[in-house]
Amino acid sequence: MNLFRSKEHVKKWSGFKPGTEAGILTLADAMRVMSTPRHRDRLRPDYVSTVQESVPAFVQRLLEVSHDSPHWDLRPD
Amino acid sequence: MAAAQLDQTYHYILSTLVARGQAPHFTEIAAKFGIPAEQGRRRLRELMAERLPNWLFPDTDLIASFAPFNNLPTQYRISVDGEQKWFAQCGLESLAMTWLFPGKRVTVSAPCLDCGEPIRVEIVDGEIERAEPGDIHFYVELPIKKWFANLPFA
Repeated sequence: MNLFRSKEHVKKWSGFKPGTEAGILTLADAMRVMSTPRHRDRLRPDYVSTVQESVPAFVQRLLEVSHDSPHWDLRPD
Repeated sequence: MAAAQLDQTYHYILSTLVARGQAPHFTEIAAKFGIPAEQGRRRLRELMAERLPNWLFPDTDLIASFAPFNNLPTQYRISVDGEQKWFAQCGLESLAMTWLFPGKRVTVSAPCLDCGEPIRVEIVDGEIERAEPGDIHFYVELPIKKWFANLPFA
């Protein structure tokens, strides 16, 4: 889970696996992924006991950002 | 452990990381809640068993990572209003730091793993105000469903 200077740098990286291009996101989309209540609300005093309520919005955001890519699909099989 | 105790322990650990850049030891958890050290250790263990992106250093009771923070240095250095004393768990969690420092400028500084040249992102309240270079991308090889099978690797 790393940041790179560009998409070309991702693909040139020695750790890049061909066929996993769906795992590449723009910085703006990565920020969107990390901007639902699952990540915004961590300082809530009841975070652990309520975190499951934040899952649907997170799953939806992942699907929006990835255009329904299976790489980012958290829904049960 | 009761849900309220899980919440309290989680909040204490996260707040401590925000305040000082280092996670508390379980004896500090015990002191915070006025319980014996062994109960503090058990509280920590039970919290870390929750399905959250947090883990202990192997074979210890030491917090290694507590999202979005890492308690061991990573290449993702975090500065808040110019002060650097935090490390992020990974490139993705580095972006979530902003939610723990409302109203403040959070700067992510890291080397590109491909070339070693610097990456810098400045975020205020979830808004990316500056990114250098301008075409930064994120990459994860594993599909998200497999992350929890090996969080440190993911």
